[in-house]
Amino acid sequence: MPDKKTTSVPFESVDTAEQNLWTALGDLPRDEPSPDMRRSFYQRLEQASSRRWSERLRDWLGMRNNAGWITASACVLIGFGVAQLTNQPQPGDQDRLAALEQNINLLNRELILDRLQDEAPGTRLAGVYDARNVVADDAQIAQALLQRAATDRSSSVRSAAIGALGSQLNSDTVGGELMSLLENADSPIVQLALADLVLRNGNAMQLAQLQRLADEKRLNPDIARHVNKSLGSESI
Amino acid sequence: MQAVSDEQLIEWVANGDASCLGTLFERYHTNVYQYCLRMTRNPGYAEDITQEIFLRVLKKAGSFRHEGTFKGWLFNIARNLTLDYLRKQKRHAAPVPMDEYTESQLVDHHTAEQAASGSEQIGTLEKALASLPPHYQEVIWLGRFEFHSFKHLAQALGCKTGTARVRMHRAMQQLNVAFTDLGGVPHDA
Repeated sequence: MPDKKTTSVPFESVDTAEQNLWTALGDLPRDEPSPDMRRSFYQRLEQASSRRWSERLRDWLGMRNNAGWITASACVLIGFGVAQLTNQPQPGDQDRLAALEQNINLLNRELILDRLQDEAPGTRLAGVYDARNVVADDAQIAQALLQRAATDRSSSVRSAAIGALGSQLNSDTVGGELMSLLENADSPIVQLALADLVLRNGNAMQLAQLQRLADEKRLNPDIARHVNKSLGSESI
Repeated sequence: MQAVSDEQLIEWVANGDASCLGTLFERYHTNVYQYCLRMTRNPGYAEDITQEIFLRVLKKAGSFRHEGTFKGWLFNIARNLTLDYLRKQKRHAAPVPMDEYTESQLVDHHTAEQAASGSEQIGTLEKALASLPPHYQEVIWLGRFEFHSFKHLAQALGCKTGTARVRMHRAMQQLNVAFTDLGGVPHDA
């Protein structure tokens, strides 16, 4: 199992200076790898494992140079065998399923992060919609969505990302970032998405901030009217 | 539910289920990367070698024997590939200058508050550690951050437990000398 806390061998020295150095070593910085490394590794793993599977299969069947119909027949037989096996649970299957489930979740997460960084706005939008379901449990995805919300060149992606972050409006980090976005948003579409979000899910302080922005004419006039109307009707 | 053990996962990888390597990668890639970075002092190379290490694990999964831990075996592979890299670097190209990396570390990690509180000593300690031969650097790093017993450390280093213990003591002696030479002031534990 990986060590979450710092572990070390029991080093003991009669020399106090060495012992102190041993303690001081614990303060050395420990950098994290870039997110690109993970993506690159999974791509290489996919290539390596698919080649490995096909080679293993061909070797196992002894048909490295044989005709395709033999391979096809073998696949039918293997499929039949796998179907039989899956109908008979083996001890340890639960653990294996749990590990596979964990892998699928990790790969899904990578896919979402990849999509959020894609060149094509359509793919980024798809990433935003996928992220909506997992943002509550995943700080990295929340950060990626915030980045989309703040800097995406497509206002549709920005407003979709704001919508996806709606459930997080009352969390300290994301809520603060969204309100800061509202203070600085130029695009009316983005202003509308943020204002709407605050009107639907905002707390008293966030609503007061929104009202202030409307009063100071820092919102698009149509959106300011919408805010005044909504807050006015609420107070009635 | 209790997490699946590393040893069970590597057995499944050996049986052809490469997807289980993803779980092992998630558990250990940061630790392996940090070790590689310590040894190469180059983030780009460290990332490349880390990936190579896990692909090597995929290839060699069948040769894992349950005599030691998976982590010890993994770090033994990491060590071999990293030392190979360092040997090639020595033959073909100039390594990244030590000060360049240690300085970037200081810029990245030292806040004004830390600097004010005298933790610039960490920079000196970084330089002292980087000045040691690779086999001393690795025993210190792995012993300080990755393993909690000399037995497991020895598995990673591919030596006997007693040898690992002796190497650690010599490495710490050398570190102490290098640290003092660089003007480091020993501080209270």
